[in-house]
Amino acid sequence: MMTAVWRGACLWVALLACGMSIAAWAQCGPAPGALRAEGREAVVLFQPRPGPIKVGELFALDVVVCSKHGEARALTVDATMPEHKHGMNYKPVVKRGAAGAAGAFAVTGFMFHMPGRWQLVFDVDTSAGRERVLHDVTIE
Amino acid sequence: MLCVIPCLAAWPALLYAQAGTPDYAPAEKRAIARHGPWPQPMLPDASNRVSGNADAIALGRALFFDARLSSKGDMVCATCHQPGRAFTDGRDRAHGRERLNRNTPGLWNTGLGHWFGWDGGSDSLWSFALRPILNPLELGATASHVAQLLRADATYVCLHRNAFGTAPRAVPAATRAVPAGPRAVKDASRAATAAPSSADERVLVDAAKALAAFVETLQSGKSAFDDLHDALARGDMAAAARYPENARRGLRLFAGRGQCAVCHFGPNFSNGEFHEIGIPHLLAPGRVDAGRQGGIRRVRADQFNRLGGFSDDASRASGSRTRHLAESHATFGQFKTPSLRNVELTAPYMHNGSLATLRDVVRHYSELPEDRLHQDGEALLKPLRLTESESDDLVAFLRTLTSQSFPDVSAAPVACRPRQ
Repeated sequence: MMTAVWRGACLWVALLACGMSIAAWAQCGPAPGALRAEGREAVVLFQPRPGPIKVGELFALDVVVCSKHGEARALTVDATMPEHKHGMNYKPVVKRGAAGAAGAFAVTGFMFHMPGRWQLVFDVDTSAGRERVLHDVTIE
Repeated sequence: MLCVIPCLAAWPALLYAQAGTPDYAPAEKRAIARHGPWPQPMLPDASNRVSGNADAIALGRALFFDARLSSKGDMVCATCHQPGRAFTDGRDRAHGRERLNRNTPGLWNTGLGHWFGWDGGSDSLWSFALRPILNPLELGATASHVAQLLRADATYVCLHRNAFGTAPRAVPAATRAVPAGPRAVKDASRAATAAPSSADERVLVDAAKALAAFVETLQSGKSAFDDLHDALARGDMAAAARYPENARRGLRLFAGRGQCAVCHFGPNFSNGEFHEIGIPHLLAPGRVDAGRQGGIRRVRADQFNRLGGFSDDASRASGSRTRHLAESHATFGQFKTPSLRNVELTAPYMHNGSLATLRDVVRHYSELPEDRLHQDGEALLKPLRLTESESDDLVAFLRTLTSQSFPDVSAAPVACRPRQ
């Protein structure tokens, strides 16, 4: 448990060190250990906790969103299996990250109940509207 | 349930060693490795403070075979969960006071799951144990009936004190018991909400937690498949070669073209989740079995769930799955993916026991009635169109999942020595 908390904290520190606290597009650089999903207007950096993701095991995502249009007002996250045409059996809950970590979110309640290709779906709301950012994850 | 998809020509058959050759290709080894090792560690249930406790296990075992637990003294847990039948009853649908709606699930390795019952309407083994105790069509007991039994039997009092630290709680004069009878409760959830929390209810839950502690110990031994798994893990190809060739062909179908392992995943051959596979859920004209959709509603409303006051997990962290449950219309008619370990011993099959033999199950997936499938269901489900010999091979593989040893769980005299 402490390991998971420590790894999550490391992500925040790494992201903040990269200038993520102001969540500006130009400063959304790569963060060690974080996965990256890019849309046209937004970039989503995220890290599963605990990682790596295992079939049938609950996990959370530590997420930081950068947008060309300033800080993300809201974030919703879901996941589907495109080939299977279904989603998860669980509904993730999004909470804003720690104070001072603008664009940071903690998302709990993911569970991939089958092996194969899953697609994470990030819906990012900014002052310019909503953008959907996708990222594929394949688990065995 | 066997999850299947059509002939996926893209399945990397070439990565597999050809039948008849003694070697196993890397992809085949990886597919086999995913289903082991066995046995798996049975982790203590955080919501049950007596999980793994020897006295609680002894109490639960005694209660499992004690007819006094039923309202009329004529039925035990083992009436349906018969140890000699892999804790099933051999019937299509369970028979309690009358014929019930679903097949009796086996209990071997049940403790490895997260959801209990065909609809997953219980999120812990102990809350699952409450259902047949309180159901008027099964044991038909009440909280007060169970509490009186535990208070009156000196051995049970001793075991309870050893396990829980106190004797079963006494009854406050003003406490009202959970009602019973045909107009009373249909399941534990409704029973629980029919009366306020009481000393009787606490003792009832203690009994259920002891039963759960016992059921957690029901772990079956290694199978021929596990021998193969272990042989490959240590590189002992001579031992691996003892695995029957027809079962090996069936294993290739299972993990390859059949895609059965997508749902029957992992060491217990189940992902523990829910799927709709074209088995009719009409119970009678005008009556349907909603499956998982009903189970989600039941577990959310259940005051005995992991998020409720009867859980011993103060953090409620073990209730995360319950907290995050998603309800959708796609859950209608879904039922839990059963473990395939010892599946040979648990006929008939499916939630309603409508398929008599393993061969019938294989035929179901081979000829899958697509018109019966939920429109929002699993898109990969397509008829497998197996040949006769392929069907034989698949059944041969499934039979290698039968454990070669089981712990003795017959009824036995119970004794208790008070702990200091």
